[in-house]
Amino acid sequence: MSNTISRPSVRRAAAGRAGAGLRGERLAPYVLVAPAILVIVGLRLWPLLLGVNFSFTGDGERDGASVGLDNYADLFRDPLFQTALRNVGLLVLLLPIAVAIPGLLATFIYLRVPGHRFFRSVYFFPAVLSPVIVGAIFNLLLAFDGPVNAVLGSVGLGPIDWLGDPHVAMFAVVGVHVWATFGMALVVFLAGFATLDGALLDAARVDGASLPQTIWHVIIPGLSRTIQFVFVTTMIGMLTSMFGLLYVMTSGGPEGSTYLPEYYIWIQQGQMNRPALASAASTVLFVIMLVVGLLQLSLLRRAVKES
Amino acid sequence: MSGNRGGRWLAALPMGILAVATIYPLLFTANVAMKTRREYVLDRFSVAGAVRLDNITSAWTSVGMGRYFLNSVVVVTAAVVLLLLLGSMAGFALSQSRFRGSSVLFLGCLAALFIPFQVIMVPLARVMADTGLIDTYPGLVLAYVAQFLPFTVFLMTSYYRTVAPEIIDAARIDGNSLYGVYRRIMLPIGAPALLSVGILNALFCWNDVLIALLMMPSAEHRTLMVGVTALRGQYSANIPTFAAGVLIAAAPVLLLYLFLQRQIADGVTAGATKG
Repeated sequence: MSNTISRPSVRRAAAGRAGAGLRGERLAPYVLVAPAILVIVGLRLWPLLLGVNFSFTGDGERDGASVGLDNYADLFRDPLFQTALRNVGLLVLLLPIAVAIPGLLATFIYLRVPGHRFFRSVYFFPAVLSPVIVGAIFNLLLAFDGPVNAVLGSVGLGPIDWLGDPHVAMFAVVGVHVWATFGMALVVFLAGFATLDGALLDAARVDGASLPQTIWHVIIPGLSRTIQFVFVTTMIGMLTSMFGLLYVMTSGGPEGSTYLPEYYIWIQQGQMNRPALASAASTVLFVIMLVVGLLQLSLLRRAVKES
Repeated sequence: MSGNRGGRWLAALPMGILAVATIYPLLFTANVAMKTRREYVLDRFSVAGAVRLDNITSAWTSVGMGRYFLNSVVVVTAAVVLLLLLGSMAGFALSQSRFRGSSVLFLGCLAALFIPFQVIMVPLARVMADTGLIDTYPGLVLAYVAQFLPFTVFLMTSYYRTVAPEIIDAARIDGNSLYGVYRRIMLPIGAPALLSVGILNALFCWNDVLIALLMMPSAEHRTLMVGVTALRGQYSANIPTFAAGVLIAAAPVLLLYLFLQRQIADGVTAGATKG
């Protein structure tokens, strides 16, 4: 990294000829950075501290008063928040599927399946649609008398009350989320494939390796970093970008079965007017994300080392 | 298997089915938007009798989607311009590193990248209310800038680090101040990165619903996505008009995707490979 600011000869020439004061030149980088730093500190880092602080104060009559861990006690007693946490557990369990689907599809596209260019652009398309639009479309498709049940009916199954049955609704929403976002992971996987050593694949082919063997022994070890990255970003996506779908498709129902922490935060803040309780939920969500992220990284590192 | 032709065709079949499953939902919606209510109720799956646009026009005018559309355009444009300006200024300065505190500042931006909006939503709403910015366009623009600036700064910094230092040295010797280098050299050189990041930011802001819901309580300030969520309640009995509203909201993104698919994918991978 060469640096132009502290190179005296250059600096003198510039300062001399431009007639700018040396002090002004020394301040220049700070002036360039300042607006961005102000916004980031004022509207992201400061609110984070404020929020953690909020979570130890009261709501309503006890507004601003310190209440210790009361909010956290309320939070973990609330059946809706318990459901939200259970649903986070469900997401973690479903995560491997959400990563394997784009991984497998990217593998086929990389191996030049007929029509691979077409597949690539079709699969990536839903990823640019807003969750709100995706949710609205699937409200139509998953309606009790909608196309999905009609297709099932034609092969003698169903009908299933996709968004009205508490045991099914969460799976339906997660399924739609995966449908809408796997294109992002697919593109990332393809970028990873571009860095893969083609000679290894050729060697595997010459040795007569089957496709599963090739995936297991060549592709997975070769893409370990990409796989790690996709795991972490998919999990973050599941925990922080399903609000639009939940809001449009189920509004947390039926019977509160589709709550996630982010939806719980929104309801407590906006509808129930309990910002301090919502802040406690926010803090818990942040801790969950840190723990999940770190856990995944360490688990994946170990898995990669073993293989 | 990875080499033989038959295997490849075998894989193409499920992929083709999945491709249909990916496109069909949107086609179904477009078809419903062209139907009369009667057509829809009688048979959901029949192809619309004609390309009818009355549902679209009624969604645009009577439902107020037109107004929400304009709100979104104004807010997203302002946010993207600000993001690119602040992001490229900071990215350039940080890429030149080695001024005192530069690495701390860069780490601060990186840390902010990992704070989800849901975690700071409550205190941010309070800060915005205290400063009188809640339910105003500048307030929403500022909220978007704050949300996507860490990502923008990070990408611009890594892009500007690849610029040959000789170019900057030459410009300095020609008598440019650091501001001159930014304006005359770095902005033009950064054009491809700015385009990619700008498109991504536009998509993020356009598609957002949570920030807009939080910042804009009153109906006339609604953005388009918030408008779509409101449609559901109002038009549950008139599905074709509802579908038309959804189509209006999806149209700009569809067009953007058709023309700029490459840049969008590049932006996503740039964020991924540098991470």
